[in-house]
Amino acid sequence: MSAEENKINEEIEAAEVTETVESAEETATSEAAAVVEEKGLKKFIKERQEYVPTTTTGIYIKRYWQLYVLLIIPIIYFCIFKYSPMYYVLIAFKKYSIVQKVSEMPWAKNHGFEYFIKAFKNKDFIYALRNTITLNLLDIILGFPVPIIFALLLNELRFKFFKKSVQTIAYMPHFLSWVIIYGLALQLFAPANGFINILVKNAGGQTIHFLDDAKTWVWTYIGLGIWQSFGWNSIIYLAAISGISPELYEAASVDGANRWQKMWHITLPCIRPTIVVLLILALGNVLGSNFDRPFALQNDLVMKNAEVISTFVYKYGIKGLQFSLTTAVGLFQSIVNVIFLLLANWFSRKMGERGIM
Amino acid sequence: MKKRVLSLILVGSMIFSMAACGNTADSGQSTETPTTQTITEEPVSQSTFEGDGSEIEGGNSAEITDGKFAETRKITVEVYDRGNDGGTDPTNNMYTDYIKKGMLEDHNVEVEFVAVPRWTEVDEINNLLAAGSAPDICLTYSYPTIQTYADMGGVLDLQNLVVDNKNDLPNLWNWLGTTNMYWDKSVTDGTLWALEGKRANNNRIVTFVRKDWLDKLGLSEPTTKAEFHDMLVAFKDNADTLLGADASKMIPFSCSSDIGWRAALLIESMIDPNISDKELYVNGFDDRKYTQNGTKEAIRILNQWYNEGLLMEGFALTESADEDSYMKAGYVGAFMHNWDYIFRNGEDSINANLKRLVGDDAKFVAVDCFEASNGEYIKYCDSTAGDRKIFFPTTNDEPLASLLYLDWISDPTHIEYLQCGDEGVTHTVNADGSYSFMAATGDAIMNSGQNIDMTITCNGLHLSTDELTSKSLNNNYPPCDPEDVDKANKVANNGKKPAKNSKITSIEAETGVGEGLNAKRDQAFSLSVVAPVDQFDSVWDENMAEYLSAGGQAIMDERTTAWEGLYGSATTLE
Repeated sequence: MSAEENKINEEIEAAEVTETVESAEETATSEAAAVVEEKGLKKFIKERQEYVPTTTTGIYIKRYWQLYVLLIIPIIYFCIFKYSPMYYVLIAFKKYSIVQKVSEMPWAKNHGFEYFIKAFKNKDFIYALRNTITLNLLDIILGFPVPIIFALLLNELRFKFFKKSVQTIAYMPHFLSWVIIYGLALQLFAPANGFINILVKNAGGQTIHFLDDAKTWVWTYIGLGIWQSFGWNSIIYLAAISGISPELYEAASVDGANRWQKMWHITLPCIRPTIVVLLILALGNVLGSNFDRPFALQNDLVMKNAEVISTFVYKYGIKGLQFSLTTAVGLFQSIVNVIFLLLANWFSRKMGERGIM
Repeated sequence: MKKRVLSLILVGSMIFSMAACGNTADSGQSTETPTTQTITEEPVSQSTFEGDGSEIEGGNSAEITDGKFAETRKITVEVYDRGNDGGTDPTNNMYTDYIKKGMLEDHNVEVEFVAVPRWTEVDEINNLLAAGSAPDICLTYSYPTIQTYADMGGVLDLQNLVVDNKNDLPNLWNWLGTTNMYWDKSVTDGTLWALEGKRANNNRIVTFVRKDWLDKLGLSEPTTKAEFHDMLVAFKDNADTLLGADASKMIPFSCSSDIGWRAALLIESMIDPNISDKELYVNGFDDRKYTQNGTKEAIRILNQWYNEGLLMEGFALTESADEDSYMKAGYVGAFMHNWDYIFRNGEDSINANLKRLVGDDAKFVAVDCFEASNGEYIKYCDSTAGDRKIFFPTTNDEPLASLLYLDWISDPTHIEYLQCGDEGVTHTVNADGSYSFMAATGDAIMNSGQNIDMTITCNGLHLSTDELTSKSLNNNYPPCDPEDVDKANKVANNGKKPAKNSKITSIEAETGVGEGLNAKRDQAFSLSVVAPVDQFDSVWDENMAEYLSAGGQAIMDERTTAWEGLYGSATTLE
């Protein structure tokens, strides 16, 4: 191969590179145009002439109608399990009766707001509200950065087999039920015969009340939560990291950046949109609470810090038969969650991120 | 632009789906109509029964002749599922077959059993009632649950049914008597939502101690609280002698987070023995006696024991199955529980396990050591009522057939067969006529002691004569020693103080707060026991104040008013 040929090849390669970079930067519209170009103008015109409705929407629907048919399945799911139950939210404003239809039940006192007033006068509900917010905020503050850090560390590993094994081991606990995790925790942390406390006592220390002291329990709860979920949550970040163009790193290497600088100036900014979206979702759930985690970890000695809204609703609503009261609580919880979600979204847009809607 | 189109489509599809939902909700309602119809029909069918009642005098209605339906009726009956190891299918075994066959032959009624888990029965029956799929004959230990559903119109009023059909229900009336039939009858409006199953045996709680440990340490059985405490200390101090290498596992006094039950005798011993019926009633909402005078001092004692290391650290976290396994393995020195707890479950009973795992002489025996201030060993217990309450949900279309079932199950010969089974399979007959029970195998295994799950109107051994019953009772727990059973039975009967019926059935403040208050009470008990001794008062008072403000005080006030409305200034019931 002559020197000239080499030069030409290099030029072609360079041109291709600029093309890909450009095309990546192009918007969706120009992408579509590129597709048209690829197929050839003639073919495009011919296709257009075949359709009776010559609008772009017509083409669009004709081409993608199968996808919309597929969409019907989730829509039905949402209708049955998410939207139609919403009708029964009316129970929050009515005096519940087991034998009447919702429309027949009499309205509650105070213009239907009797049960909301009752809830906010109920000290247990206030405790549950406080605990839900505290535990969820702690989960976000302490738990949210962990999968990011873990993903960044994992990304720096070069030995592939080791990396894969660590990743798999880390996300395994995600598949364990909380009842099993509590069983494990009991074996490890029980005050009299837990493994760690036996070690502590043999070393001459005092029993640590991981599970049966209200204050320590909070940290056990948060810690177990992080342990259970960080591996799983890091998957999204790892996917985002793998989508970063290697050229950015190469260019940074050429400029003499070290690993730390690359991580700080390339990896993190590139996964920032992912972080923001996940943070919005997490903040939207600050008043939400899953049931199995607190329920499995609760016991009589820690209830002051462990009762959350979901377990409160279970105890008073399902076991205590106060359906109207707890529907009111659930409705309140949902509304506050939506407000949080919208606020977080608005804030992220203000900060120049895309948000989720 | 394209984005806008897309979002428009999304919004459109959302509106469409909402509209679709409106439709599904509507169609949901239309499918609901049949059920509401059956409910509105209920009063009609009830009135036909009233009609039947008037016809009873001159022969019976066309529906049944000689207690037998012309057409086969079908009813469903709740049965507890205890899920015990090696038990039988609670809905299909030798005893259910006996009932099914008998009901079909005698009354032409087909019976189907519906299993409900025993330990979550209240939750489960709530779910079934709320879903409208509860069995025709329901039972529960929780009267407030029935009252709540009755208030919502979900329970049949039995008053006219049992009176109008009295002639067809001789066994039921004979066995339960007016006491249990009318125990839950409202004095204000005469409604009767439930029938109280009868306790043939109202033994409650006794204290068990390790007899072999006492012998090893040269101690005699404790007869007072002080001696009991000294015994616990001796167990703890001599853990090395008693348990050897396992000394660190020693639990002198075993308890669960349900302290109100598992330290009940201690609590009851601190209550004034001359307490008035009124005071018992006003504080009677909580069956663990949390608000009674004296309970605080009893828990203070327990708090001291805990701080001396006589209770297991972390007892509040221990599941009952784990606690049982500590007892069976021989780490536990003493505990309080149901009078026959150590004998239950045959070869898997606590005493049988101790004998097998620890040694021939290892066993628990019952002792009486919690004396009240007058020196008596008072044990507050239920009367003949206070056991399972039987009620019919409004979805029951066959109230008469259901009542005939209750009548059939209350027939003394049927009770005897269900409790004793076949000779040579579940029992042998002794020379004096009493039964000796043997560990059954296969389909003849009873899932509950004396088969109480099958005999829902009868709890406790009930044979043709009382003498036969008491002789047979001691032989009822093979392979446990009949003498030990006899002793536990005698201790349980010593100083019994049966509950009286206040006849006040409905207290509005009690509706829906039971679960929350019970949880608060258990927390208060546990937190007070584990508090440092010098903080006991503040922990107790703080939790008590919270309990009272969360509804406890309202209940006590309403109960006081209700009592004074019915009995005026009298403080004693007949």
